[in-house]
Amino acid sequence: MTGSVPDGVRPALESIELSLGFGAVTVLRSVSLRIERGGIFALLGPTGSGKSTFLRSLNRMNDKIPGFRREGQVLLEGESIYGQRGDLMDLRRRVGMLFQRPNPFPMSIAQNVVAGVRAHKMAPRRELSAIAQRRLEQVGLWGAVKDRLGESPFRLSGGQQQLLCLARALAVEPEVLLLDEPTSSLDPVSTEAIEALIRSLAPELTVVIVTHNLGQAKRVADHTAFFHDGHLVEHGPTARLFDSPAEAETARYIASALG
Amino acid sequence: MPAPTTPSAPERAAAVPPVPRARRRAAASRLLRGVGAAGSSIPLLALIFVLAVLLAQALPAIEYNGWGFFTGTAWRPGNFYADGVTTNGVAHPPGADYSVWPLIVGTLASSLIAMIVAVPVSIGAALVIVERLPRRVADAVGMLLELLAGIPSVIIGLWGALTFGPFIARDIAPILANHMPNVPVLNFFRGPTGYGEGLLTSGLILAVMIIPIVAATTRDLLRQVPLLPREGALALGMSEWETARKVTLPWIRSGIIGAVVLGLGRALGETMAIAMVSGAVTGTLPTNLYATMSTISATIVSQLDSALTDATGFAVRTLAEAGLVLMVITLAANIAARILVRRTSGTALPVGRGI
Repeated sequence: MTGSVPDGVRPALESIELSLGFGAVTVLRSVSLRIERGGIFALLGPTGSGKSTFLRSLNRMNDKIPGFRREGQVLLEGESIYGQRGDLMDLRRRVGMLFQRPNPFPMSIAQNVVAGVRAHKMAPRRELSAIAQRRLEQVGLWGAVKDRLGESPFRLSGGQQQLLCLARALAVEPEVLLLDEPTSSLDPVSTEAIEALIRSLAPELTVVIVTHNLGQAKRVADHTAFFHDGHLVEHGPTARLFDSPAEAETARYIASALG
Repeated sequence: MPAPTTPSAPERAAAVPPVPRARRRAAASRLLRGVGAAGSSIPLLALIFVLAVLLAQALPAIEYNGWGFFTGTAWRPGNFYADGVTTNGVAHPPGADYSVWPLIVGTLASSLIAMIVAVPVSIGAALVIVERLPRRVADAVGMLLELLAGIPSVIIGLWGALTFGPFIARDIAPILANHMPNVPVLNFFRGPTGYGEGLLTSGLILAVMIIPIVAATTRDLLRQVPLLPREGALALGMSEWETARKVTLPWIRSGIIGAVVLGLGRALGETMAIAMVSGAVTGTLPTNLYATMSTISATIVSQLDSALTDATGFAVRTLAEAGLVLMVITLAANIAARILVRRTSGTALPVGRGI
């Protein structure tokens, strides 16, 4: 068994012998990982361990970086996302992403929420404000912004902006959500709100979250994979990984991080 | 080992008496402040001076030409060889009848054509340079842009008059004329083209001159757009075109408006090239895209020589009045741009109207 999925069950997302690099530098070596549908999967590891690059390869965000090279495959519901027929825009609708820092677009709050819905022509115009409201309610932002939907998102606090970005990502109804250290720039209260939301998204959604915060992995993730120096060291149910790591590197990292 | 020979603190104080030194420094800073104040007031004084001189020169013409200056179409200097006549205390040659209206139309129309062509081309070019070309090629193209911006307008005018104008008259105009349906409104796109001097050539020549300005400025602005919101748009499944249109360009909206106004200012005021390719025709409104015409600035430069032979001085005063009109137009364009920038940016950057 590789990753969080029993053999014979098709995972939502799967990497097969995936190696990634930029130019002469190899960032990730031969990672095979199966990510269970509807679960929350944490990618843990120190800075430079390759976990973010791995995450970004799951929706092909590395493609445009000069010198990017890849060997191996990534399968979404059994189909290669790097295949010939791959529609990049549709892939990214199905696999959403939240970044380290909030990145609202230069348009009104309401327009931000439905920006993706409009780009993918997922709903007629008259339904857009209802969609915006529903998604803002889902992330718990509706009460704070309902009187200023037409205003700039840049006056919101960092936490609110990140929630807005989450609402925007959810509005295109993705199957998988990739979170790249989504709370690293936020205060503890906002972090708690985002973590609670992440937990509420499963099992409708498969969540993959990169973090270097052990506590966060422990709080939100069903499964955790530990990356170190471009290798997938080990992975397993979060509690098992933390309580009895199989590898010395994992144990050392957990011990030092808990300090 | 001997002790180091740096003087002790009291010795240093004795060597340089503190009071004169402080006084010297205060005097120097006062001097600097004075020079700075004088320097910074020079532009303002120059503006006031130019406006005052122009107004003083133009005042008699304003009085005599009256509102007819803005309604008629005539541009008749009158008979310079006859004795001057005096109307309401203003000396002028007999038969003098001026209207700046066709020149205003010529100025605005040629600038409008220039903007319609130049703005999309410039923004598109800037996007390609920043997002598509490898850095080295982008730098080379950028250098070419700056070279293009540096070509003297008289050279571009010469090229327009000898090569580009005839090319439009011979090769472009017939295609346009043949493909426009025979509807009265579209007759604007038909007309005798002569040697290619006229409105369209003027507008396109202006476009050539402002594209480098707008494109280079937009390119520099685009380089400052952070990666994160653009990645966010791509990660949401937007195409690169949608990302540019919805995120990247709105991010620098106010800067682009500024760049466009910079180009517009250049187009409105451009003189030499237009004097060479417009046909320099005064006294009639341009009725089609190829009509010969003139602009305010081109008329001033092409008529100043003969105006100076007007013994009453009235022709020069009228040119001064026309110059005043051009200043007002340019100023109005600048103010409008400022209002536009303020409305689209400020602390509320950037705003929208819900969905």
